[in-house]
Amino acid sequence: MPPVPTPASSPEAPPADAAASGRRPRGAGLPLVTALIVAAVVLRPVLTGLLGHPAVANWATVFVAITIQALPFLVLGVAVSASIAAFVPPGLIARLLPKRPALAVPAAAVAGAALPGCECGSVPVAARLVSIGVTPAAALAFLLSAPAINPVVLVSTAVAFPGRPAMVLARFLASLAASVVMGLLWIALGRDDLIKPRRPHDAGDGPRLAVFLSTAQHDFLQAGGFLVIGAGTAATLQTLVPRTIVDSVAGTGPLSLLVLGVLAVVVALCSEADAFVAAGLKQFSLTARLAFLVVGPMVDVKLFALQAGTFGTRFAWRFSLATFAVAVACAGLVGWWLL
Amino acid sequence: MTEDARATTVLLVGAMMVRLALTGAYAKYVRTGMGGVLLAAGILLVALGLAGVARALGFVRSRGDAHGHGHGHGDRAGWLLLGPVLALLLVTPPALGSFGVGRSAAVDVSSGGRTFDPLPAGRTVPMTLLEFDERAADHGGASFGATPVRLTGFVTPASDRTGFRIARYQIACCAADAVAAVVRVTGTTGNTPARDQWVTVTGTFQRSADGVPELRATSLGEITAPRDPYE
Repeated sequence: MPPVPTPASSPEAPPADAAASGRRPRGAGLPLVTALIVAAVVLRPVLTGLLGHPAVANWATVFVAITIQALPFLVLGVAVSASIAAFVPPGLIARLLPKRPALAVPAAAVAGAALPGCECGSVPVAARLVSIGVTPAAALAFLLSAPAINPVVLVSTAVAFPGRPAMVLARFLASLAASVVMGLLWIALGRDDLIKPRRPHDAGDGPRLAVFLSTAQHDFLQAGGFLVIGAGTAATLQTLVPRTIVDSVAGTGPLSLLVLGVLAVVVALCSEADAFVAAGLKQFSLTARLAFLVVGPMVDVKLFALQAGTFGTRFAWRFSLATFAVAVACAGLVGWWLL
Repeated sequence: MTEDARATTVLLVGAMMVRLALTGAYAKYVRTGMGGVLLAAGILLVALGLAGVARALGFVRSRGDAHGHGHGHGDRAGWLLLGPVLALLLVTPPALGSFGVGRSAAVDVSSGGRTFDPLPAGRTVPMTLLEFDERAADHGGASFGATPVRLTGFVTPASDRTGFRIARYQIACCAADAVAAVVRVTGTTGNTPARDQWVTVTGTFQRSADGVPELRATSLGEITAPRDPYE
């Protein structure tokens, strides 16, 4: 075990806050730092002992890894979301999109290619789009397509599947199709009242920089908290369910599509990395692995937690189940056609 | 969350990321290339947190701040961000060990069907476990010749009759997507190193009956865990 740093060895944070909060009796900053220090003293031996168990250590590592890996993308998404709130004139983006929702959906889905990142970043941006008046169907199409069809993800797919450019094309087409279908389905069947209304604070006025800062802080904390729930869930599933379990159901039938779809939901990989894992699932057909790549960026336990926190749990259940079905179907069709 | 609790939380998360990036400890959790991205995101969060602290203290006042804050609901989940901060400050979870080796997906050793060039003769070649496995899968390991190679990995339990196995993870993005490459080591004398002990072995490739790539070792040394535990 490497030497464990003490809290005091992180010079940036606690002292600054302790000093800052000390002058303000009502705030929570000082109690927070005090609680951290007390926790450090009381909990550390307990936690260190727990890490002696390989399963617990594995859980903790995967939990921290998913969180750390996702935070930069979350910061990017939050920065974009806060910039839209603060610097883009209200109504501009809604005006740029086609008036008819049926046309706005594909336009928004294609626009998803412009946000280079993984799924954590697209949730705050999509929520912002809804709050500034973009039709929810278009915002949802963007939410689904952005993490799957941006250039970074497509390049990493090409690298993971050398000599198989059809895989990249299939991923692009199946993801785009699933996003558009979900957007259109939302127009036909969706209920906008399921989407939890944003707090009035988000329509903030005042100096733009202040709006940017307070929006960024709010969005980051909200999405980040749910990201932590999602990372904990994914780490638990990864630790409890050995990935080798999928070997027993290897095959080429429709069942294998479902199995890899469920696997994508459970392991909650970053969409920039999932292609490398899919490349290793050699016992499955390419179409089944395509299902893994199409479902992963659209539905997984981490993303579910983020969506539930941002849009509400009732929405997240319905939306995730429908998206799963549509994504598997699109992957099956495109795979049957191209692969 | 109150205004200064929010600012403090953002500041703590940012400080944690800056610290991970600067100390290099992040390599236990995400791939090494992400250090710069983590640093940039951490600096942005620290700035955001400091701006919030300044506002909470009343250094900066603006009309936009006067309303809409202090409603606890909506961002209550933000407290959860202290979970990973605490985990990293208190215990620093270790790099992935042998627990997950048998449980992760199999590593892809086909390397796109490429044929490897023969190894240069006459000197020991350091090699990743992944490349060793890929070369072993390519024409039955023909590219090795008689050239000795040096491998670095950690000991992972197995029920082999002879020798022991070492493993090392490949990660594409973070530890959640890790897949392990495994090599069996034979020909060593003395006790097998303990589970999860990092070792460096030198030896030559040898075909095995059961398909697990095998190294016939001429030397074996125990080492401390490398700074970047993944390949």
